[in-house]
Amino acid sequence: MNILNTLITRRRFLQAAGATSAGAVALGSGKIGGFATLSEAQAAAPEASGGATVTKSICGQCPARCGIDIYNTNGRVHAIYGNNDHPIANGKGCPKMHLGTYMLYDPDRFKGPMKRTNPNKGRNEDPKFVPISWDEAYKTVADRLNNLRDKGESHKFGLFFGRGWGATDVGLTIVPFGELYGSPNAPIGHSSICSDGSVLAKQCTDGNASYSSYDYRHSNYLLIFGANFLEAFRPYNNNLQVWGYIRGVKTPKTRVTYVDVHMNQTAAAADRALLVKPGTDGALALAIAHVILTEGLWEKSFVGDFKDGANLFKTGQTLDPASFNEKWVKGLIEWWNAELKDRTPKWAAGVTTIAEDLITQTAREFGSTRPAIALFERGAHVHSNGVLNGMAIHSLNALVGSLFAEGGLGYQMGPSYGPSPANAADYMDDYAKNGPHKKMPRIDLKGHEDGYLMAKNMIQEVGKNHLSGKAGYKLDTALFYMTNPVFSTPNAKNEWEEAVKTMFVIDTSPFPSEVAMMADIILPDNTYIERYQDAPTYPFQGFPLAQLRVPAIKPLYDTRTFGDSLIAIGSLIKGPTSEYFKKLESAENIVRHLAKGFEKDPGDNGVKDFETWKAKGCWFKKPYVYRQVRGEFLKWDGKGYNNPMSAEDVKKDLLMTDSGKFEFVSSYMEHKKDWVLAKTGRDPVKYNMPHWEEPKYTGGGDVHFISPKTAMHAEGRGGNIPHAITLLQPAAGGNKGALAEIHPSLASAKGIKDGGRIKIKSAVGEIIATARVTELTRPDTIVLPFEHGHWAWGRWAKALGGSHVDEIVPQQSDRISGMCNYYTGKVTVERA
Amino acid sequence: MAKWGMVIDLEKCTGCQACSTACQMENNRLPGENYQDVLYYTEGKQPTPTLKWFPRPCMHCEEPSCLHVCPTKATFKTADGVVLIDWNKCIGCKFCMIACPYGVRFYTDEKPLIEPNIKDVFKGSGDLSWNPPYKGPQQDNAHGVGIQPNGVVSKCTFCYHKISKAPAGTANLTNEDEATREFTPACVRTCAPTARYFGDLDNPNSEVSRMISSKKGTRLLEHTGNKPQVYYVTGSGAGGGAAVPMGRNGINKV
Repeated sequence: MNILNTLITRRRFLQAAGATSAGAVALGSGKIGGFATLSEAQAAAPEASGGATVTKSICGQCPARCGIDIYNTNGRVHAIYGNNDHPIANGKGCPKMHLGTYMLYDPDRFKGPMKRTNPNKGRNEDPKFVPISWDEAYKTVADRLNNLRDKGESHKFGLFFGRGWGATDVGLTIVPFGELYGSPNAPIGHSSICSDGSVLAKQCTDGNASYSSYDYRHSNYLLIFGANFLEAFRPYNNNLQVWGYIRGVKTPKTRVTYVDVHMNQTAAAADRALLVKPGTDGALALAIAHVILTEGLWEKSFVGDFKDGANLFKTGQTLDPASFNEKWVKGLIEWWNAELKDRTPKWAAGVTTIAEDLITQTAREFGSTRPAIALFERGAHVHSNGVLNGMAIHSLNALVGSLFAEGGLGYQMGPSYGPSPANAADYMDDYAKNGPHKKMPRIDLKGHEDGYLMAKNMIQEVGKNHLSGKAGYKLDTALFYMTNPVFSTPNAKNEWEEAVKTMFVIDTSPFPSEVAMMADIILPDNTYIERYQDAPTYPFQGFPLAQLRVPAIKPLYDTRTFGDSLIAIGSLIKGPTSEYFKKLESAENIVRHLAKGFEKDPGDNGVKDFETWKAKGCWFKKPYVYRQVRGEFLKWDGKGYNNPMSAEDVKKDLLMTDSGKFEFVSSYMEHKKDWVLAKTGRDPVKYNMPHWEEPKYTGGGDVHFISPKTAMHAEGRGGNIPHAITLLQPAAGGNKGALAEIHPSLASAKGIKDGGRIKIKSAVGEIIATARVTELTRPDTIVLPFEHGHWAWGRWAKALGGSHVDEIVPQQSDRISGMCNYYTGKVTVERA
Repeated sequence: MAKWGMVIDLEKCTGCQACSTACQMENNRLPGENYQDVLYYTEGKQPTPTLKWFPRPCMHCEEPSCLHVCPTKATFKTADGVVLIDWNKCIGCKFCMIACPYGVRFYTDEKPLIEPNIKDVFKGSGDLSWNPPYKGPQQDNAHGVGIQPNGVVSKCTFCYHKISKAPAGTANLTNEDEATREFTPACVRTCAPTARYFGDLDNPNSEVSRMISSKKGTRLLEHTGNKPQVYYVTGSGAGGGAAVPMGRNGINKV
């Protein structure tokens, strides 16, 4: 494996070739950036007198998109702090943010475009990359794509992307590329290995296919299921700010109950930690709903009430739906009769292992504190029953009237962008409209009856389907942008890793990776410190917010912004596709067009055009214009929430279900009833309600295996940032790698000692790990953070070794959401 | 002249370690050698284990035991109350590391925590122990600021290159005030839950003085007589996981 060392040739090439067509980028003293030249190329130490240039930009290490101030003194980037003008960052930082300076100067970065010369692919095959010019790189890719299109096989091109944001990276580039070129597989996003479980849970209940925005600062109770608020949940930096406020400043102090499978920082800092059996969060939520109803704690102004005003919810007893007047919800009594009436705390205690009295206490607190928020993410919904768990948890928000309320949750508004430089619809040729690709299923069988009809993406199944030909064809060419499924999907070694060996692979990361190791062409992106990009906010507080990434330094090496590379390739595609991409011109040009929208709709911070956007780093307009107050929906009129919304308005803008209400009985799922029943075998009476279903544990072992994200997961690069490695798993002591948290009772039964090497096995593989014998984790659960075990990630990752958790995670997905079931595997453990 | 000090509100500290990384980058620390560490402690049993953490910078003591043992007077106390090391005088004897009750001093040339040794990747020249390409513009050996030279001990400086430029008479150094932002220590500036406060302990109207008074600030290992200028406060004492590390038997664990 010599992916890193081969890059030395880049320098030799540049020296021989002189300035390439792309223009070699000078660094510091004017030397050409190359693999071994970094220390030589350093400029003289900047003067201590200061005079740093501060560039407002966006962090790139998690989805939060924090505004950052990048300090550059005399051509050297030396510090990153939060942007005080930015509503998410507010001048503050998470532990990852500051490491961006390291990422810029990461000695393992790719230094320029390259092609593979060793046709054999494998972990131990040196790709033998050689430098090529950007022109050759683009032409190689475009020729290949044109050839496929000429043969009517454009569907064999797949474009896979991960953390692509905004118009520059996705909206005006990646998405139109697939439409104009003509492939159902361009793009395939990563959402099914991210958090589609919550998206589907929301879509099935309140009609919003989205993550939620939250008004934590005005909430008095947070009931958090597995969304690790103080370590991983987005927007992490702002969550930390929120925590300091709601716990240390706000009166009254917000109470927090946190549900997870091991004691982590959020659990420790909460008022109550409930350490739940993996996959049973839904049972806990159902029991909480049961108590809220039987004890009359639901929000009557939102949910409605019994006609005679008396609470008729009695455990085990069915009710006449006509006895209840529903207001903004639908199907409450049907749900009660079919499911909730028997979901007592006692029952849930048997399922979850949480003590019955704690469940009742939690339910009473949550049900009697307003406003309250129930939130969840990966953990609760990363199981075969994930969408049901998510629907059950989200239903708690409806029961206490939190939807669109102050101190509750809503959905994110988009920014007032200006028109694109070109409209893709004007550049569709006959092939794009009617070509053979139109009849082809996606390779991941997303939206297909044989696959995942209701899913958004199924990137984790691509490798498997490519190998088996299940979709009726195999991919010929695959381009990757900020995603590394060869490493980060279940059963990765046997599926994606094998699949890419038989594809022509193009990687675009600035950094080495497992995909890059298998690549035929490398088109290295600039790091986020060196490029333009727009990014509308991830769901935050609902009000529209768009931040701008601006280069803080010229690219250190011969790298190019991804958007510019895709535009260059698109410009070489035959037919009108080429014209579209030529009109786009560049990522910077796109950004300038977007900014024109702010002329008509200036932001609260005075941002009204490209220059002011650049100066402030973000455009935003407060407040979130919708608010539900005691069952009345109101809209902001410029001065206050004074405009009442009609039921039609609510249905159009907020509760976008068939009924225009929050649906405990999902009409969205009812539309796919036959398919759902056939594929899940669920009870036709309650298949479309939040209900309890035992999770299908995979892997064949006797211990749950959970691989959570930690705070130092710097969008994957944390695995090769030495500073991040030493801080990875603070609570358990993982400062030289990741440790497998294992309970003393299990360790003792297996003869495992603290710090000892252990073998963890499932039906699909085995890994070696280092044990941390600790009371932090449940006796039936091993917790090993995903991060390490990379085999082509850079020098520190390689030296570290580590355990690649996805080699023992079996392939299973939630049939409804398509959400990859990362935490559903059971393993056996023994001394190594 | 100010007497600079810090207050850390344990009720708000989330144990995220942003203080550690902000400091790492601002002060060019080696991986795992953090001027500003967060320590973690576990006690109890399932299903009710406890996890606590404790953020620990240099305490910049009024009576620093490290200063008293220094044979070359390399460790000194500035007029504005900060304990620093003059790298031009330090001979690397490490007496101070033994004398410090808080374990917040670092010697160069230790075995790296992880391989490859980053000092071999970003090699230093002259007496600089390494030369990270992202190093800051400040290098002030007389105050122990910047890249650590070979053969010397280093420690938290309260970001002396920042605070020493604050206008005279400043009561509070905080990110929230644009006028003091650039003079605020990195760990204080970035702290997302705003658990850290920095200012003039001699000014009775500074935020740190107010917090020490109203929230009954305590200092770590008072019995040593070191009189730290870093104070800890908490609310109910039962809130967050951040806590002064006392064992259940009452024994202080640091």
